[in-house]
Amino acid sequence: ERRCSSLQHKSALSACVTGQKQTNCHESWSLSPEEFEIWDRLYRIKESDGIKEPVLPRVQFETLENLEETPKEGAARELSLTEWSVWQNQPLPTSLVDHSDRCHLFIRAMEMMELMRHQQGDCSYEQELQPHLRMEDVNIPGNKRRGRCSR
Amino acid sequence: RAAMAAAGGEQQQMLTQRLKAAVHYTVGCLCQEVEEDKDVQFSKQSIAAISEITFRQCEIFAKDLEMFARHAKRTTVTTEDVKLLARRSKSLLKYITQKSEELASSNMEQKEKK
Repeated sequence: ERRCSSLQHKSALSACVTGQKQTNCHESWSLSPEEFEIWDRLYRIKESDGIKEPVLPRVQFETLENLEETPKEGAARELSLTEWSVWQNQPLPTSLVDHSDRCHLFIRAMEMMELMRHQQGDCSYEQELQPHLRMEDVNIPGNKRRGRCSR
Repeated sequence: RAAMAAAGGEQQQMLTQRLKAAVHYTVGCLCQEVEEDKDVQFSKQSIAAISEITFRQCEIFAKDLEMFARHAKRTTVTTEDVKLLARRSKSLLKYITQKSEELASSNMEQKEKK
């Protein structure tokens, strides 16, 4: 019965926008009692639903001191940005917002990784770039790494 | 003219390859450090992927930095713009801010010596 239709939602919302209630429900930032009732009935995740609350993964830096709060685990379902990676080597459909440059970067990188997935040993990317390497581009004075790096 | 444009494009292409090669080399060195530190092995393909992502990320950084500077009515990119790149993560912002302060104070010392 819950989440049965967006139609119901729309009519409820438009009832709020049209007619007398309009001023009432736009007066404050929070939900009006009517809106709250709709939210509670149709959208709010309750224990009886048997689904976990969705949460976004937190930023964590492997190489830096961590200042972000750590999430509570267990009760929530962390939304994954990687479990559908095999879908991500092509642009997915858009509605109103186009893909950004950084999104295209991501798609190209996924595509590249897909192409290299089955390469063993030698790497085509490396072979293509090797002739273009100029040591003066990478020889930073006082660079301790110099010489130690075999790649 | 078309020939000149083509030659220009070719030169651009050569510069891009040269830059990519330098990034690839440096990424390789950094990955080697991580390998020693964490006792893991990176495949050549994974290093290539990190290099390509790093190279493209530079395009994004460059565009953002230019826009941030312009937003502050400057044509010169400063450390303030660089800090804005890191605004979304507290950890990263703190790290970058510290580095920036260290750089500023060591620059001051250098000037005083002169």
